[in-house]
Amino acid sequence: MCHINIFNTENMDEKNFTPEESLSIISKTIEETRKKIQDNGHIMILWGCLIFTVIFSQYMLELLGLHKKFDIVWTCILFPLGAIYTFFYTRRKTKKNNIPKTVLGITIEAMGWVFGLNVLVLATVFNNHIGNALAPVIMILLAMTIIVIGLSIKYKPLTIGGIILNLLAFGTFWVNPAYYGFSLMFGAIVGLIIPGILLNIAKKRGNV
Amino acid sequence: MFSDLDPILHSQLRLSIVSILMTVEETNFNFIKDATKAAAGNVSIQINKLQEAGYINVKKTFKNNYPNTTVSLTEKGRNAFEEYVKNLQKYIHPK
Repeated sequence: MCHINIFNTENMDEKNFTPEESLSIISKTIEETRKKIQDNGHIMILWGCLIFTVIFSQYMLELLGLHKKFDIVWTCILFPLGAIYTFFYTRRKTKKNNIPKTVLGITIEAMGWVFGLNVLVLATVFNNHIGNALAPVIMILLAMTIIVIGLSIKYKPLTIGGIILNLLAFGTFWVNPAYYGFSLMFGAIVGLIIPGILLNIAKKRGNV
Repeated sequence: MFSDLDPILHSQLRLSIVSILMTVEETNFNFIKDATKAAAGNVSIQINKLQEAGYINVKKTFKNNYPNTTVSLTEKGRNAFEEYVKNLQKYIHPK
């Protein structure tokens, strides 16, 4: 069977080719298209760092006795800023790289926004109802989002990161609420920052 | 040879175009041209053939004063592709 290159299609359109070659064209085209539309880990690293920074700074503010004055402002500024940046970054990237719409892309984007909005409503409207459980509940929601995205893009480090985060969230219920922040920080590292860095490395090497 | 295989799809560039459209919801002409690395004229001819067969929808609009051709797969095109793959499997793994 002769080797077929899908990129030299110019003068071969009507040529007869074998079923094996047809399958090769289909699989290579789908694989190449997937590579082109796959997002990088930049946004994951950004959100991982953002969660880590916000929680870490809240501990610092508490140590300095400034917790009551600044923590809400800090959270209310950094997270919306992250959401605005994510919105404009993905929109610009889509336009610049001419990335087409995909069912997968739409699903991943929707999952991210649904997660964000749920956390926002839980933290602002139902904060009194949910109390100390807010941190592990947020971690479970984040873990679900990460696992589904990891499985969808068939990227193991992300799926594994999500599973670890999910287990960590259950473990958090047994910890003193004063230390919930550490769980969140650790969760941000294993669930977002590390998979994001690995995804960027894999993308640069062309493995994803 | 390969009489069961849809002649519309049994062309390398047309097969590549339909494979791309199976992966994405819709895309534009430039993405297809870049992904297949084929000449614009050739891509245009094959898109017309696929459109004539009713396999794809083509929408021509203007974006920032430049022509923008959006292409998506029709139900007929999706079914034809699935049938084509089934027939391929019969050739590769005959009973």
